[in-house]
This record gives sequence, structure tokens and C-alpha cells, in this order.
Amino acid sequence: MSGFKRDRQGNAKRQDGFPKPAPKQQIERNAFTPMFENLRDELDAHHDRRDRIGKASRDITALSKKIIFSLQRVRKIDEHLPEDIQKEIDTRLAEISKLLASIAPDVQGINRLRYARSLVCLEELVEALTFYHYLKTQTLITQDQLTPIVEDLTRRGFVVEDEVMGNSEAAEDISSEQQPSDQAKATPTVGLTDDDYLYGLFDLTGEMMRFATTTSALSGKMASSDAASDGRDIVHDMHELGTFFEMLPLRTGNRSMWEKKLEVTRQSVQKVEKLGYDLKIRGSERPKGWVPDLRSTDQPGSPE
Amino acid sequence: MSGALIDPSLFEQLRVKIEEDTVIRKELDKITDELVQHVSFTQGVLSRIHSTPRSKYETLLPQVEEGVKKEIQSVRALAAFASQYPYFKYNYKWNRAVQDAISTVLLAAWLGGMGTESRPGEVGRLLKLEEVGEIFGVPVNLKDRDAFHITIEDYLLGLVNIVDELSRLAMNSVTLGDNDMAVRISGFIKDLHAGFQVLNLKNDILRKRVDSIKYAVKKVEDVVYDLSLRNLIPAKMEE
Repeated sequence: MSGFKRDRQGNAKRQDGFPKPAPKQQIERNAFTPMFENLRDELDAHHDRRDRIGKASRDITALSKKIIFSLQRVRKIDEHLPEDIQKEIDTRLAEISKLLASIAPDVQGINRLRYARSLVCLEELVEALTFYHYLKTQTLITQDQLTPIVEDLTRRGFVVEDEVMGNSEAAEDISSEQQPSDQAKATPTVGLTDDDYLYGLFDLTGEMMRFATTTSALSGKMASSDAASDGRDIVHDMHELGTFFEMLPLRTGNRSMWEKKLEVTRQSVQKVEKLGYDLKIRGSERPKGWVPDLRSTDQPGSPE
Repeated sequence: MSGALIDPSLFEQLRVKIEEDTVIRKELDKITDELVQHVSFTQGVLSRIHSTPRSKYETLLPQVEEGVKKEIQSVRALAAFASQYPYFKYNYKWNRAVQDAISTVLLAAWLGGMGTESRPGEVGRLLKLEEVGEIFGVPVNLKDRDAFHITIEDYLLGLVNIVDELSRLAMNSVTLGDNDMAVRISGFIKDLHAGFQVLNLKNDILRKRVDSIKYAVKKVEDVVYDLSLRNLIPAKMEE
């Protein structure tokens, strides 16, 4: 009983200790009824988990998309994003944290891949986070770097929940004191699968293409970080990413999906190289120092 | 800030992972193909029930059990290999084959086969999920660790499979003059049907297959009706 209410999104789910739904109707009992009743309870727990994950997943996908929209309003590759955009992203990430924490107990161990299909949101999240990282550093974040970030997001979701609980429910002081030590031992986190990462990267190329198009149209230059020592720009980066995917062996698990994403990536690369060509040819006709008047659109004042 | 977009080790890491994955899938295909062959042989032997009177089951069932033995070997090989990897990553590759193997075992046991020293076989016996797991020597409904196992869905789908076969047998056993068998099957299928109605099914494959049971119920009820109309139902059955 202790901590049941508090830990409603933690232990309770892990034990699958939800009240069992009453049978639909009174069915004549026979020799097999008890067996089927046992199986029903197991299946119900499974369906409940899947539903919870699916709901959180939809929300995480939507939030990730919003982060990407915010990032598309950035105008240059720079360590420091405009403050308002950074703030938008931080808010969304905090919300994602809470959602991840809410489903973390449901996707531990064997269940992680069991519900992989309900967790497609992670692909979208990878897309948002890799894009975020690219805009800040002009580098591609590796899977080994990204996994701890997502795990950390999950953990932060738990912390936030704790604080809220601690403030609002003074009556349950005793159990709230037990809580942190419990969680410190084993906070369940949501990990990334290889597929989440790979397919997220594929989608990243699309975002980079969009970003390259907007920035080159507005600034007359190919996006590039001032700090990048070798002076490579986004055309170069797109080529490198394209080559990266072309050289990877075909992933046989979901062949058609892989081929589809690869084709889209090819198109994105070609769109960006066309941009590079256009700038080279026509960009020189632009008077030196000429900058389009962007005061109104360049600095996004209103979110969304 | 590093000078390159992509960390060179990343490509190598991903390439190795994808190649390993492909090798695993190929090996799984190989093992699963073998299982499919044994299952199909066993199903073939089992199809003789429709032309075999119950008195001859004694000679038929050992042949079925021979086939089942080979299935068990394949499933164990599969379990040994697949348990090295996350179960739900590759399970879709063998689910169908394993479900069919479960069906052959369930049907053989229902017909009176699959007996052990402690528990001789008898007609009408339904093996539970745990018993099926014991026969194959693999765990069932695993939750606390990640290894090969038989899921509840595998078992239930395997169970639905035998309903069709049994409804056919109900008819054919009447042809063979075994009216008692038809009545027994009718009772079994009706009980199973009631059992499946206890489940809260979602709109998935299981529901689709379970929905088909009602046709089997109708089929056996028609047979029993034909029998009762002609007073052909054996007296000891209380149907």
C-alpha cells in the first residue's frame, strides 16, 4: 500500500497491480474458464501498457515536431541559439521528460522491444535532438552520445514529478521521504534502439535540407558555423551524410522502409547541392554586402 | 568543436551492427525453415485422423509424436540461438512456425497422445500453456528476463488453429461411425468458445482468428443436431 498512490506511474505499473476489469457478462463457467481468466488478466495488462505507451508516444511525437519547427526558425549555426527559441525548446523538452518518465516503467527489459512499434516517437525525438545538436555544433551526434541524453531526459521527468508531489501532498510525507532513495537505486530509463537512431538520422537530412534552403534564401550564403575550422558548409555536410547512408549496408529488417528513407535522403542531398550551385552562379551577382531586409521575419518574435 | 561532421567511429559502429543483424536474421531463417518442415510433416500425419477410426489411434499417434519430437528439437535449437538476442526484436520471424508447432502438440494431446508416465494421454485433454512449454522445454510468458519463450498469444493462436481441425473431425468421425467422438468434440469446442469469450480482445490478429471459432461451433452443432434427430447420440453422453 505504501507509496501506491504516489508512485502511480512507477511501481504500480511495474507490478501490473491495476484493478481487474469486471467480466463483460456472466458467462457459463466450464473447465476452461479459470485458465482463460488468468490469460485474460495477463492480456489486459499488456493492452493497458500498450495504450499508455501509445498515448505518451503521440504526445512526444507532437512535442518533438514542435521543437523541430522552433529550430527551423534559427538562422545560423551557432553554439548559442536565440534566447526565445532556446526557451521554447527547453519547455518542450521538460514536457517530453515527464512523458518519458511516465512510460519508462512500462518499457523495461523485455518490454522495451515488445512495444517498440508503439514507441515510434523516439525516432522523432532523435530527429529533433540530432538537429538541435547540429545547429549548435555543426556535427552529428553519435548514438553513444545521444543515448545518455535521452536517458537523462527520462530521469529528469521523475525528479520533476517528485518535486510536484512533495509540494502538494504534505500528508504523505513519510512515503515521499522513501521515494528518492528508491529511485536513486533504479530509476527506469528509456533507451534508444539502433533503429530509433538510424531512422531518426534519415529524417535529420530532411530537416537540414529545409534549414539550408531557408538560410540560403534569406542570407545569400550557405549555412556554416563560424567556428568550423575547415570552413565546410551545409552542402558539404549533406554530401557527407548522403555518402554515409549510401555506404552503410542495407538493413534487412525492414527493407522497404530503409530504401524509402534512403531515396528521400538522396533527394534532399540533391536539393541542397542545387542550392549550392545556384549560390555560386547567381550569388556572385548579388552586390557585396547586400542583405535582404529581414528585420520582420529574421527574428522570430512570436512562437509558432 | 571537431573538424568533421561525422565521428569516423560512428560509421564503423553502425556498419558492424547492421552486418551482425543480417547474419542473425539469416541464421534464424535457417532454423525456422527447418521447424516449418517438421511442422508440416507432423500436420500431414495428423491429417490422417480424418480417415482413421479411433481404434487405430494407437498406431497413428506414435507417428505423430515422432514428428513432434523433431519439432521439439527445432524449437530448442531456435530457443538456444534466439535467446542470445532480444526476444521481441526477431520473434516475428518464427511466431507463425511456433504457433503451428503448438497446434500439432495440442491436437495430438487432445486425441490422446503426448502421454507421459505420470500422466497417460486421454482423448479430450487440453494442454495448458505451461504444459506446452514443458513439452518444448522452453519458458512461457516471460516477464522478468529477456529470452526465447512461448507467449500467451502464441498459445491462444495455436489453440484456435485446432478448433477448425476438430470441427472437421467431428463430421468425419460420424462418417467413420464414431458418433461419440462428434459429441465430445462438440462439447469441447463449445467450452473453448465460451472460454475465448472471457478474453477482452483488442482489434488484432487474435480477435480475428477467435472470431472464426463461431463457424466451427455452428458446424459441430449441425452434426450433433443431425445425430440427435436420428437418435444416434450414444446414451452415456449427456448432451
